[in-house]
Amino acid sequence: MALSGMRGLSVFISDVRNCQNKEQERLRVDKELGNVRTRFKNEKGLSPYEKKKYVWKMLYIYMLGYDVDFGHMEAVSLISAPKYPEKQVGYIVTACLLNENHDFLRLAINTVRNDIIGRNETFQCLALTLVGNIGGREFAESLAADVQKLLISSSCRPLVRKKAALCLLRLYRKNPDVVNVDGWADRMAQLLDERDLGVLTSSMSLLVALVSNNHEAYWSCLPKCVKTLERLARNQDIPQEYTYYGIPSPWLQVKTMRALQYFPTVEDPNTRRSLFEVLQRILMGTDVVKNVNKNNASHAVLFEALALVMHLDAEKEMMSQCVALLGKFIAVREPNIRYLGLENMTRMLMVTDVQDIIKRHQAQIITSLKDPDISIRRRALDLLYGMCDVSNAKDIVEELLQYLSSADFAMREELSLKAAILAEKFAPDLSWYVDVILQLIDKAGDFVSDDIWFRVVQFVTNNEDLQSYAAAKAREYLNKPAIHETMVKVSAYILGEYGHLLARRPGYSPKELFTIIHEKHPTVSTSTIPILLSSYAKILMHTQPPEPELQNQIWTIFNKYESCIDVEIQQRAAEYFALSRKGASLMDILAEMPKFPERQSALIRKAEDAEVDTAEQSAIKLRAQQQMSTALVVTDQRPPNGMPAQPSIGPLSLVKVPSETVDSQNPGDQGLTHPNGVVYKEDPQPPSQDIIGDLLGTLSIEGPPGAVAQSPQSATYEAEGAPSAADAAALVPVGEESGSVQPIGNINERFYALCLKDSGVLYEDPNIQIGIKAEWRAHQGRLVLFLGNKNTASLGSVQALILPPTHLKMELSLVPETIPPRAQVQCPLEVMNLRPSRDVAVLDFSYKFGPTMVNVKLRLPAVLNKFLQPITVSPEEFFPQWRSLSGPPLKLQEVVRGVRPLPLPEMANLFNTYRLTVCPGLDPNPNNLVASTTFYSETTRAMLCLVRIETDPADRTQLRMTVASGDPTLTFELKEFIKEQLVSIPTAPQRPQGPAAPPPPVAQITAPPPAASQDPGALLAGLL
Amino acid sequence: MPVAASAIYFLNLRGDVLINRLYRDDVGGNMVDAFRMHIMQTKELGTCPVRQIGGCSFFYMRISNVYIVIVVSSNANVACAFKFVVEAVALFKSYFGGAFDEDAIRNNFVLIYELLDEIMDFGYPQNLSPEILKLYITQEGVRSPFSSKVPNATLQVTGAVGWRREGLAYKKNEVFLDIVESVNLLMSSKGSVLRCDVTGKILMKCFLSGMPDLKLGLNDKIGLEKESQLKNRPTKRYHGKTIELDDVTFHQCVNLTRFNSEKTVSFVPPDGEFELMKYRITEGVNLPFRVLPTIKELGRTRMEVNVKVKSVFGAKMFALGVVIKIPVPKQTAKTSFQVTSGRAKYNASIDCLVWKIRKFPGQTEPTLSAEIELISTIAEKKSWTRPPIQMEFQVPMFTASGLRVRFLKVWEKSGYNTVEWVRYITKAGSYEVRC
Repeated sequence: MALSGMRGLSVFISDVRNCQNKEQERLRVDKELGNVRTRFKNEKGLSPYEKKKYVWKMLYIYMLGYDVDFGHMEAVSLISAPKYPEKQVGYIVTACLLNENHDFLRLAINTVRNDIIGRNETFQCLALTLVGNIGGREFAESLAADVQKLLISSSCRPLVRKKAALCLLRLYRKNPDVVNVDGWADRMAQLLDERDLGVLTSSMSLLVALVSNNHEAYWSCLPKCVKTLERLARNQDIPQEYTYYGIPSPWLQVKTMRALQYFPTVEDPNTRRSLFEVLQRILMGTDVVKNVNKNNASHAVLFEALALVMHLDAEKEMMSQCVALLGKFIAVREPNIRYLGLENMTRMLMVTDVQDIIKRHQAQIITSLKDPDISIRRRALDLLYGMCDVSNAKDIVEELLQYLSSADFAMREELSLKAAILAEKFAPDLSWYVDVILQLIDKAGDFVSDDIWFRVVQFVTNNEDLQSYAAAKAREYLNKPAIHETMVKVSAYILGEYGHLLARRPGYSPKELFTIIHEKHPTVSTSTIPILLSSYAKILMHTQPPEPELQNQIWTIFNKYESCIDVEIQQRAAEYFALSRKGASLMDILAEMPKFPERQSALIRKAEDAEVDTAEQSAIKLRAQQQMSTALVVTDQRPPNGMPAQPSIGPLSLVKVPSETVDSQNPGDQGLTHPNGVVYKEDPQPPSQDIIGDLLGTLSIEGPPGAVAQSPQSATYEAEGAPSAADAAALVPVGEESGSVQPIGNINERFYALCLKDSGVLYEDPNIQIGIKAEWRAHQGRLVLFLGNKNTASLGSVQALILPPTHLKMELSLVPETIPPRAQVQCPLEVMNLRPSRDVAVLDFSYKFGPTMVNVKLRLPAVLNKFLQPITVSPEEFFPQWRSLSGPPLKLQEVVRGVRPLPLPEMANLFNTYRLTVCPGLDPNPNNLVASTTFYSETTRAMLCLVRIETDPADRTQLRMTVASGDPTLTFELKEFIKEQLVSIPTAPQRPQGPAAPPPPVAQITAPPPAASQDPGALLAGLL
Repeated sequence: MPVAASAIYFLNLRGDVLINRLYRDDVGGNMVDAFRMHIMQTKELGTCPVRQIGGCSFFYMRISNVYIVIVVSSNANVACAFKFVVEAVALFKSYFGGAFDEDAIRNNFVLIYELLDEIMDFGYPQNLSPEILKLYITQEGVRSPFSSKVPNATLQVTGAVGWRREGLAYKKNEVFLDIVESVNLLMSSKGSVLRCDVTGKILMKCFLSGMPDLKLGLNDKIGLEKESQLKNRPTKRYHGKTIELDDVTFHQCVNLTRFNSEKTVSFVPPDGEFELMKYRITEGVNLPFRVLPTIKELGRTRMEVNVKVKSVFGAKMFALGVVIKIPVPKQTAKTSFQVTSGRAKYNASIDCLVWKIRKFPGQTEPTLSAEIELISTIAEKKSWTRPPIQMEFQVPMFTASGLRVRFLKVWEKSGYNTVEWVRYITKAGSYEVRC
């Protein structure tokens, strides 16, 4: 390569390679970097050869993993070199060292563009590679069109067009909004007619990306894809160099089939027929052969074809053919192929009909469960889990149980969970289910999560005929010398509840039960002791008439635990002790547990969670997952054996009646997030009281509705909401007495905060919260109102009306009539500024909650400064402008008194927040401020505004202000606006006041203290 | 006695095992691979000398281009292990004649195996004294002059004066005594001393016949006070400075009972070289050099460095091998210097300006002024952290602590005459000045 000429570089590389250790290498590299720095800094400049050499060195050092944070300038400048060797290194180093966010790239864009539109195709290739590798937004914006042109140009060689397609693909993936693909369907269709397979493969990649985003537009490409596929499958017109181990371009085949999967279906019968023909050919033609590479290629094609077959819902015959093929795969010795077979079989499961065919391979799959390779075992487990139904549940679960004792520890938890779920879903009879779970706990107690044993308890509680059987079983397990703690929990619970049912049998007298349970007592942890205590209490209660000996024993235990450090144990011990002395009333309180309400199985939910976590992102997989999980939910609603499904119960709520509040749960409130940052968290496993707890939690954050005192100013109602400049600051909550509904937080303060920020809370009361998020671009703006219902009941008669001032054009999208409970509605609002004005738009908002009608008028923060765009001007621009705008009405001057005293930097900050850029250094007097900004409106377009403030260091309460702009109204309005801001304190409400009158000190006192400290709403808004 | 090692490995910088010895079989032979994988090839190297990987502890230290790694699986005494390594290296050095590096190990495999067998037994350190070991471990290069007579080897190993053979005879009886001090300093940019101490050691080389008894007197505070007390002359005080020594440790030959009662250092020296004592001083240190740096950053790409170094010891003395390392930012591109003495250059691999002055007389103040050009980088400008200026030097016949030998008396029953040589030298430890 070009290296041959560069001795210094090869010497350096061989030096580095000869280094004995890392440290020597670092020293050598640092020395070289020092050398490169010196060379780059050389005033005389470098010859292109030298530059090239040092830039190569930089790249080599960078590739060794050292930081290179200089010399990018040199690399970028090499791009514009005329000769290939220099240009090449320039492109390579730029692509490696810089990423899309670096400013240096801007320097290169033009050169790159010249290379792309130039005639030299090697340069075109280099440039396309760079653009593809970097793929930044700016590149996309300025180069996408050229790349597109290159792709469809007929004069280009295939080599360039291939690169152009890939480059465009990359740009499109990175910035789909920038690359304009409207009307590309025809061009894509045209591209798919290409004979050159290289270009076709690249274009197909592009098509996959385009179709995945929007398949509608590309229907015309579908037949072409099928035709391509046909061409490949028939091996027609395939050049030798695109045949891989006898398979015609497997990559193109896979990509084409992938693209086809993005279309929902193939409607045209002819196309459909020929497609199925091709698929049939692929299915028939694929087999396991000796050569690994050939296997890989043909299997990639095959599995993609399988995915496509599943996607297209092919007829049963084809499906069974697929399954038969997979069956062959899972019987092969080669583990990779077996893995693929199992995985694809699992995928096939979601297609109906084939389950029966898959079942034929059950024995083989169970053998795979014993494979030495853990990944195969996992796949086999997944498949078994998926294919289980009533008919084979018993076999499979027993197989799983057997496997449990020899399984990997890593798998045991999953295995036990799956076994438990299958046992529950497909149990032929209930005693079998209890047997299975107890066996499970016995064999793999450590891996049995609490949910599993909670579930058994629920089943037993809800099925009376099961109770005595379960108790007998539990007693049997307790006989074993060493049992797992979970088993102790289950057994103790069941025997406590239902032990009395068996009291007649030998060995089941209360006393014996107590003894056998208490035997386990020393070995258990604190979480089990409460359950033991409960079960003692129950045994005691069932022993009628009481046996004094047993009673004393149990009382001793209760006494002992009354001083336990664990609060739960202590409380139970104390309460049971007290209760057990009450005699008869004990019976009522400690009576048998009531039945649990029907709930979804926590186990299945857990399994679903796990599946979603590991979901792969490829299009097919994703779809598969969705189908899979909905299938689970559907079956779970009504398990085949008619067992009601129930949720888990906490271990400690065993004696309490489960609270019934779960029913208020609805899908809408899962993870409801308000834009203002109030996040209603939903516990992943909602135990009964959680929702209420959450609700209380949020309310307590916001404070009780009445607790937040209204600021005295907000009580000064304006008779009407008509906005006028002088009283604009006063609140406008007018209209009907809004009953007991009081706003939370100071509306005024919220408004002022929103004048400075673009998102936050506009209004909040106990029922509703209105958040705002705004985006401003030149004279247009887009506000989104977030109407969040805080209640568990819906709000009705919701109405939002905009009363725009004359200078604003506003369009509010439709506001729904009702807001569902705890839901949030977004209403976009388009704003256009016609003229400069300080008037404010008002939102007239009303809703009905129960019988009360609430109406509020809220000012919208679409104020003058939102249409300002900060701009920095240099002295050369400023002074001519300033001079050219001479005298009123374009330039206005006013002495403002009664300004709230502010240090200069703070005032500068204030200006900056109002989007008036303070330009330091323009005015020689340090007490003066000069600011500039651009104002946008429909009539004025972009208009430069200049502001000068002269302050008096002796008296901060007065200042002289000069405002200049090219529009008299704008000058006046801006001046007034700034004056208002300077005179009033934005966080405090304003009284109507003449600009000349200094603020009376009383006003300072009545003004509420800074809101943030006491108003949580504002606090939240402030956090945004 | 604590276990110190289950195995010891000598690795070169690449991580190849040069030589190893397993003392116990509670660690696997492949544990050194874990060391290579998890320590040598990561950034951890050099951060902490003790690491635990997979139930084993690794203690390692680097000596020239060799890593010495001790692997232990039980709860070992770390200090003991490191002391063992240090002593073992000293032992090897005395056998190889000075150098201890990869080549020396490769050239002395047999000898090292023999020594490793001797100096540690089942993980317990044994006698590491070169004098003793040289009696019976002799190799081609190190032939014992007394190999003919090893009359009382057991006495040597166990006896009262284990460190000295009997029957030594020299034509000329000489004693050399060196006081070597190293000064550690951290000074703020304003010139106030933040941390300063001196660690010193007294090295001796004895070529004395028979069993001589030596007595050393220093101008240290305790010794002087005790002396004047004993001689009952409380009024007369030693003229000049007295030095307060902290943390004094002695060679095993020093008679500690005598030191405790009379505060004098008396001993029967081993033959040849040894380290008589070590001490530390934190108060009243005479700093040999003052460094006055001014570093100005002129804009983003230029810097100006002016450093003045003042020697504050006597004008008749001089320092040797003075090296001043002035850190500069990583993006330094060009440098130009003006120095009034010595030579300066920019060393890119340590990001320092290195100013070397071979001979530096006392009471002079050479200066360096340098202009530095920086290259602009794309990384946002981080303010440069300004590491401290480091200095290396050696000042002969100067002690930073002011310690002096008052007398060195040799007493032997035959009463021969001896020649005593005393030398002082002060070196830089970590001598740093913030700038």
